[in-house]
Amino acid sequence: MMAEDFQPALTTNARSPNDPVFIGVGELESGRFPDRTFIGDLTEVAYRALKDANLPLADVDTILLIPCLHSFEDQADLVFSRVVEELGLSRKAKSSFMVHSGGSTSDNAVRVASGLIASGHARNVLVLQAERWGSADLTKMVTMLTLNGIPQEWEQPSGVTFNAIGAMITQRYMAATGSTAEDMASICTTLRQWARLNPNAMYKNKPLSIEAILASKMVCDPLHALECPMLADGAAAFVMTTAENAKARTGSWVRIAGSGGCVSHYSLGQEVDAGTLGWKIAADRAYAQSSWGPKDIQFAQIYDSYAAVTAIGVEGLGIAPAGEGARMFRSGAASPGGRLPINTNGGLLSAGHTGVGGGLALLIEGVRQLQRRAESSRQIDGATRGIIGGTGGSYMDAQVLLLERVERENIQ
Amino acid sequence: MSTIVDEYRAGLRDGKLLIQVCNECDTKILYPRHRCIACGSNKLGWVAASGKGILHTYTIVRAVPPAGFEGELPYGLGVVKLTEGVQLLGRLHPGSHRQDWSGYACDVAVQFKPASTEAIASRPVAWFAPVAASGSPEK
Repeated sequence: MMAEDFQPALTTNARSPNDPVFIGVGELESGRFPDRTFIGDLTEVAYRALKDANLPLADVDTILLIPCLHSFEDQADLVFSRVVEELGLSRKAKSSFMVHSGGSTSDNAVRVASGLIASGHARNVLVLQAERWGSADLTKMVTMLTLNGIPQEWEQPSGVTFNAIGAMITQRYMAATGSTAEDMASICTTLRQWARLNPNAMYKNKPLSIEAILASKMVCDPLHALECPMLADGAAAFVMTTAENAKARTGSWVRIAGSGGCVSHYSLGQEVDAGTLGWKIAADRAYAQSSWGPKDIQFAQIYDSYAAVTAIGVEGLGIAPAGEGARMFRSGAASPGGRLPINTNGGLLSAGHTGVGGGLALLIEGVRQLQRRAESSRQIDGATRGIIGGTGGSYMDAQVLLLERVERENIQ
Repeated sequence: MSTIVDEYRAGLRDGKLLIQVCNECDTKILYPRHRCIACGSNKLGWVAASGKGILHTYTIVRAVPPAGFEGELPYGLGVVKLTEGVQLLGRLHPGSHRQDWSGYACDVAVQFKPASTEAIASRPVAWFAPVAASGSPEK
């Protein structure tokens, strides 16, 4: 793969006034909150992100909405403009729209916001999301997930489900790497250790053991019930602006050192290697755009609606040797206090699967770690560089963002 | 439903697995598309698959099925790479009894083997079975 042949260079660097950067994040607790509402959560999380960014609401000129999955009505209802109105930004806002690539939407929203900011089409961009999965009807959600994200006329008659897709990736990964059921379960228990340190995590109060996972019901071989994600309510947001604006408000911010992506399939039935997916190609493209690589990071936040997806991501990103992703978790290297913390918010599997927001929660956790604003029990000392990995649908794409902290005093 | 869906499903009803083929560049395509994925031609036809392939990955669905599939649990699903160089998601036949999935593993040889006419009529999907050591499909 000659990634450099078609990977453009970033047009800004840390010293560019128009370098697009993160200055704030916001999040609501994930779980089941029947008394919260979709629009109420969008409003609340917007305020939290703007407060973290130290940015007046009236300075937001562009709003990007990450879609919800709990109802087609709320997704198709031009909610992005309702957010403008709910926030009192009518006539002040220049544009509002939705970006959608399933679980990797947050990564693509970063690219969209970055392009708008670097090119001068936007000044301050608010990206936000809220999901009501935890309070929605589970049967309806399972049916919705079954019918979407697959080529329906060809695959719906097979009875494929999202758990089945996760299971088939897991089966292939285990066969290709020799990873055991215990190795796979150790990814889930590692995530639970992190979730216990995150006040926004759905399972912050519930320990999890490998034994309990392996004793839980088989849902889709080789996936046990406790290895399947739990649908959750949640909301998250971030604010991006130019480095020049950031410099005027704060002493540090987070920039994008490179990004790369690969859409490897739509239907898992068309994926040529379900044990590797598009991660290596995406990572090569991201590293080709950056001056640093996997050896230079202090953490990674990689989409984890099933453990195998994260193990495959870890390997494709070069964080673990090929075949060693799951065993890296088993060794404790990715756990709190380990050599390379991974999914420090607890991930989708333990912080809660907030639909398209699961990837966003990982992204803002990465930004938060680089801002050094995570709760002290899970803050990584001296976090300066981290990798974000996202994927959507039937793990149809791999999206990689390389993020780094910038100190104002270092670029004067 | 488009013509390609009807034609593919008619093949399944006749006990055949059809592969789309480009009449201009001879590329084999599955699932069927509206233009050739190699050359863009819309001159597309069909060939009958050999039915032989390798099981890339699989699962047995035991719980939380889509609406309408509750009565079929447990059921097998797999991604099959056909010798023709195309691949698809299909259903897997159990072995000698309903819970026997012992013939399946990643990279084993499998063979297209249609389900009953009634099953295909209600669920137009390709079914596969393991290839026994002798090379003939198991029952």
